[in-house]
Amino acid sequence: MIRFKNVSKIYKPNTAALKNVNLRIKPGEFVSIVGQSGTGKTTLARLIIAEENVSKGSIIVGGWDITNIKQAEIPTLRRQIGVVFQDFKLLKKKTVYENVAFALEVAGAEPVKIRNIVPQALKIVNLEDKLDRFPNELSGGQQQRVVIARALVHRPKIIIADEPTGNLDSINVQEIIDLLLKINKFGTTVVLVTHNHDIVNALRKRVITLDQGQIISDQEEGKYLL
Amino acid sequence: MISFFRALKFAFQSFYRNIWLSAATILIMVLTLLSISLVGTINIIGDQAIKSVKEKVDLSVYFYPEVSETEIKAIESRLETLSSVKDVRYIPKDQALEEFKAKHVNDPVIQETLEILKDNPLGGTLIIQSKNLEQYNDILNVLNDPNYTEQIYEKDIEDYQTIINRLNNITDRIYEIALVLSLVFVVVAILVIFNTIRITIYTHREEIGIMRLVGATNWFIRGPFILESVLYAVISTGLSLGILYPLLKIISPQVTNFFEGYNLDLVTYFSDRFLEIFALQIIIALLLAVISSMIAIGRHLRV
Repeated sequence: MIRFKNVSKIYKPNTAALKNVNLRIKPGEFVSIVGQSGTGKTTLARLIIAEENVSKGSIIVGGWDITNIKQAEIPTLRRQIGVVFQDFKLLKKKTVYENVAFALEVAGAEPVKIRNIVPQALKIVNLEDKLDRFPNELSGGQQQRVVIARALVHRPKIIIADEPTGNLDSINVQEIIDLLLKINKFGTTVVLVTHNHDIVNALRKRVITLDQGQIISDQEEGKYLL
Repeated sequence: MISFFRALKFAFQSFYRNIWLSAATILIMVLTLLSISLVGTINIIGDQAIKSVKEKVDLSVYFYPEVSETEIKAIESRLETLSSVKDVRYIPKDQALEEFKAKHVNDPVIQETLEILKDNPLGGTLIIQSKNLEQYNDILNVLNDPNYTEQIYEKDIEDYQTIINRLNNITDRIYEIALVLSLVFVVVAILVIFNTIRITIYTHREEIGIMRLVGATNWFIRGPFILESVLYAVISTGLSLGILYPLLKIISPQVTNFFEGYNLDLVTYFSDRFLEIFALQIIIALLLAVISSMIAIGRHLRV
């Protein structure tokens, strides 16, 4: 599903965020990318959604070589990848329903399709009764669930979650992880970027550990090493 | 199509949510369009006035009373063969006398003198119009033929060149001032629209980031900003024409009075060419709006 071949990312003037990374993530996998701050976890996530370009090497997502992806092709790629961030990125002036519908609106979806899909996505994240609430009327965990619902409306093959629990308390953390596991069960590949030991250790899924831009460990049923 | 309507919706929302910014932008655009219209109007007035004056220029050739009609007609025929001549009109001596009497009907001295003189003291006259002002010299050269010296009493070309030069000077000066003013407004309009779109982009930066994240195409992200500037252009053109028409109605009588007898009616001119003026204004407004918003988008909207 995702393939990194000798990928390096060097920020000007001379800071290497990733060094010669080789990686293969199979369809339907749940992979945690762990490591301390500044080890290149977020850079890796941003490379997958073409938010950044590689300095060396190549990246293939779903059989598509996105190494030199054209600007015009990026929206197509992003509709196949759901993205969840630590800071939610919800529009404060839009309701829960409108925030989720927004992802379909900007992609040119028909109103009928929007009316069908949005409630379904909100049902998956258990927010079907909060359609008319505004983000500031929701808890952190609920806001992150809205983000996940928004990521799901394009029926993505991959979900990239970059520190999705960073701003949440322990109860909400578990809710979000359970939700990601549920989505993974539907067959969606999940890439979870985190530095939360407890989550990683409890998941008993594949763990890739990064240190100073390099993969230092890749275990099938891994634990947080550092 | 749905994307277009959504982009339009976003454009309208942004327009209303930043209504004062929109109003300021439109004000500047209206001023720009009005000043450009002023340049156009001055051009029209100048051209029309000069054209009318040029049409009035003619060369009068007075013959001695004893020169016969046949002789004058021969000269008339010769003049008509010249490529520089537009029109030649023959005024017989009797008609010339009638016109002379009519012209000086209030001058008792002239009337008395004419009473005393029994014979008609005037000769036939040829009134010649050339195709353009520069060619009167060619015609005069022909009339200076030594064969005609005993027939032609006087050649008279009114000094219209001075009037035309003066008119040219006045209109050129006003035109230059208006042109500079328009250029200033054009630059100000570009800067203001650029800034408005830049501020709009800044206030929507969060939304734009999310749009990119969820896979909006570049044109969907840019569309509302371009449409917003198109909205400014359309409204400004409407307002500018709405102001221009009554304004012309007010100044038209003054202009008509000033150029009395030159058949210059600005309101009619405006009404007759409404579509052309509308098209020109909207094209200028759209160019201004779209170019400046594209620059703002190019510089401040990374998609």
